[in-house]
Amino acid sequence: MAAFDIVVIGAGPGGYPAAIRAAQLGASVALVEKEELGGTCLNWGCIPTKTLIASSELFARIKSAGAMGLRVASASFDYAAMADRKDQVVQKLRNGVKQLLKANGVTVFHGSASFQSRNRIQVDPVAAGGEAVVLTSAKTIISTGAASAMPAFLPRHERVVESRGFLNLRALPATTLILGGGFIGCEFACMLAQLGVRVTIVELLEDIVGGIDTDVRRELRRHMEKSLGIRILTGVTLEEITADNRGVRGRAGQENLEADLLLVALGRKPVTQSLKLENAGLAPNERGFLDVDAYGRTRVATIYAVGDVTGGPLLAHAATSQGLVAAENACGRYLHKNETLVPNCIFTSPEIGTVGLSEQEAQQQGRKIKMGKYPFGALGKALAIGEPIGFVKWVADAETNQLLGAHAVGPHATDLIAEAAVAIRAELTAAELARTIHAHPTLAEAWMEAAHVLTGEPIHSAPPRKEVMKSN
Amino acid sequence: MVKAVVMPKLGQSEETVKIVRWRKQVGETVAKGDVLFEIETDKALLEVESFYAGTLLKIVAGEGVTVPVQSTVAFVGDPGEPVPEVVLPAVLPKKADASRPIAVLLPQRGSGLDHRTPSPLPPGGERGAGSAGPRAGEAPPAAPSVAEPQLFRISPRAAKLAKESVIDPTPIVGTGPSGRIVERDVKQYLEAQGYGRLRITPAAKKLAAREGIDLLRLGQKDDGSQITVADIERILAERPKPLTRMRQIIAQRLTESYTHAPHFFVTVSVDVTELESLRAELKAQGTSYTLTDFILKAAALALEQFPNVNSTSDGESIRWHSSIDLGLAVALEQGLVVPVIRQANELTLAEIHARAQELTAKARAGQLTPAEMTGSTFTISNLGMMDVENFTAIINPGESAILAVSSGAKQPVVRNDQVVIRSMMKMTLSSDHRLIDGALAARFLNSIRKTLEEISLWQRSI
Repeated sequence: MAAFDIVVIGAGPGGYPAAIRAAQLGASVALVEKEELGGTCLNWGCIPTKTLIASSELFARIKSAGAMGLRVASASFDYAAMADRKDQVVQKLRNGVKQLLKANGVTVFHGSASFQSRNRIQVDPVAAGGEAVVLTSAKTIISTGAASAMPAFLPRHERVVESRGFLNLRALPATTLILGGGFIGCEFACMLAQLGVRVTIVELLEDIVGGIDTDVRRELRRHMEKSLGIRILTGVTLEEITADNRGVRGRAGQENLEADLLLVALGRKPVTQSLKLENAGLAPNERGFLDVDAYGRTRVATIYAVGDVTGGPLLAHAATSQGLVAAENACGRYLHKNETLVPNCIFTSPEIGTVGLSEQEAQQQGRKIKMGKYPFGALGKALAIGEPIGFVKWVADAETNQLLGAHAVGPHATDLIAEAAVAIRAELTAAELARTIHAHPTLAEAWMEAAHVLTGEPIHSAPPRKEVMKSN
Repeated sequence: MVKAVVMPKLGQSEETVKIVRWRKQVGETVAKGDVLFEIETDKALLEVESFYAGTLLKIVAGEGVTVPVQSTVAFVGDPGEPVPEVVLPAVLPKKADASRPIAVLLPQRGSGLDHRTPSPLPPGGERGAGSAGPRAGEAPPAAPSVAEPQLFRISPRAAKLAKESVIDPTPIVGTGPSGRIVERDVKQYLEAQGYGRLRITPAAKKLAAREGIDLLRLGQKDDGSQITVADIERILAERPKPLTRMRQIIAQRLTESYTHAPHFFVTVSVDVTELESLRAELKAQGTSYTLTDFILKAAALALEQFPNVNSTSDGESIRWHSSIDLGLAVALEQGLVVPVIRQANELTLAEIHARAQELTAKARAGQLTPAEMTGSTFTISNLGMMDVENFTAIINPGESAILAVSSGAKQPVVRNDQVVIRSMMKMTLSSDHRLIDGALAARFLNSIRKTLEEISLWQRSI
């Protein structure tokens, strides 16, 4: 039996930073992982998909290089090589995490953790032949994450895959049916369409990427349909799904659909089954997640939980932030609350970045707000790089001009959102943002121009029209 | 034909009435019976309906304005018709109302403001006529009766700096001519107060400026972090706000009663087992009575028997009331009202039920008239539906006792040396000891209890 101050269960983007921070604060730390260091994000999520998307984006740009004055004789791709590059990137990052954990003196246990009691954790070997270990912990941080939902009505067949299964493919299908128009479904749809795959999305709700600002959604959908040729069926269910060696078939409303592959992107389910939570006096809520308070504590005072397993935004960066907070709170520092401002990035084509309140959320809260919007089409840099599509949009308090929300769709929107997140967290008003000198020519100037719209003194756009100054 | 809309006279006591909200705007069509505006009297919020059909041509008395009854507040007629010019009669604060605070023109210089509740900044960071005006909802101050305010002298540059710094300049000692505050004084003050160490987010500063919060009153946060919008919002939430007229009346009347009438309390437990089954039986037959109906009736009978309880005293004389008018406390979202069931002793149970239902519904809809809320001689407050064991009530001014009725609940009780389960309900009588002694209170209360437990009496009377 080994005793530790802190045991972290799950080495994803919530768990491994928590382990490192706890070790930095002087605690003896054990980190238990049953699969790979880095969790879903590094191995089967953010990193591998963004690696593939980088290839598909570049391919799409090369094909349209004529507009930039380039002549590329014949562009083609080798998906297997793209997949190899993806695996190399993942391997490199995984090694990096391993080195960091070692350098910080974190003891890594490879196995499946379960509670024997509140402070005794059993680690069972994943492979046969190993031996179980029991750890005692003063404080425990659960960061077991979530896995793709695969509802029972779906046929179990190699042509029916979720995101993780898709990433193991070595060749692309000619046609793909995507079930679910959330951000995972849309990211895969854009990537596949850029590589010439014919894609159809079937979404039960009335629109894709639900929860995102309506203006932004409209812009994305228009590009996915018009520029990428993706078919998007919303407000319908996919029924009578069958799969065999020739393909997958299903019916959406009156229409029969057929494809080489069905990619399932129906959301994520928390991983708690193997933990034997009941031995620690814990139980998941009715949706399967572990409830925590603002400080990351579960109902049991010595057990914390962070990341996807607690519900919330299901984003790697939120998990990391929560992991650091939980580690600091568990190590008895001044108590911190979890951060509540979480940027949301979607790597579609065009990209989306949002943070803070959307126009619709602000209105639901009964706040008086106004909007400042600026199109990339009016920005020098966006024209120069040949991507004058999309816009940025601020949501601000109508009376104090405090920046409350920011929404970007267009080139590098996922990188651009960082500035907005800093501005909102620092409670800046439109005036400060507008007065901040933004380097020229850059895409980030769009935030400054949109802030000028809010203060009513735009230089590079027409004076604010009535529709822009909307309040409820 | 232009018709003048006149503020109705609502009861004997009302001389002035405040208009709270206009429900129709100028230019809107008005039908006969449409609600034109809402008014607030000493007792309630009421709706005033139009006697005429036409278009609302002009509003003479706007929202928040207090006018004498019978004065013209608006005109209704055909669109485009000329409207006579009317000057609103000025309404002065009620005379002999010394208890009402008069708006103080200026804070005393260096009066040591409470550091935890920031004082509102005068508009524009300057003291002057602006800050002396009455706030909405308050009667205009009787200006001449207050001593001439000391002049506050500040240079425009100093005032601008104070405003930009979001601070209250009134505590600053001026070194200019005649003690005038000049820019240098503000700068020295800011430095002496440690203004430079203040850390605040831009949005929080802007909000503080808009709401007139003096940044120097905020102080440093315990953990050394920046002052955020959330901190300012917390201060705004804690700011004193005027009580609604209804709450002010409640405060005044109940404080008067509780401090003038020496209260004492007697409690009995009523066995309502059989009354409950009778109610259930009647309900099955299609007539539903509430427990309150029975208690009202039982109280009316007891008051007939004990006229001393149905009386009032000023400490020197006693006045017996010639009729038994029962007040029934009705809880509302924003306070409580006490509609009156007149001559309750003359009413049958069914009549009491009908009257109580009608008044309760009107109370909840805010439609009680002042006449329906005055002149009760004894009051019943029933918290039975709120699951309470027991409580005491404060006597309504002008009465000598009040009955507080709590929830009925099954309990083990001893009957014929056997423990049995019965539905028991506690009632507590608060009495004014100047008129009622313990023995009388006990006899009166037990009389109500016996009536409620005497099931054959109810069976005969229904």
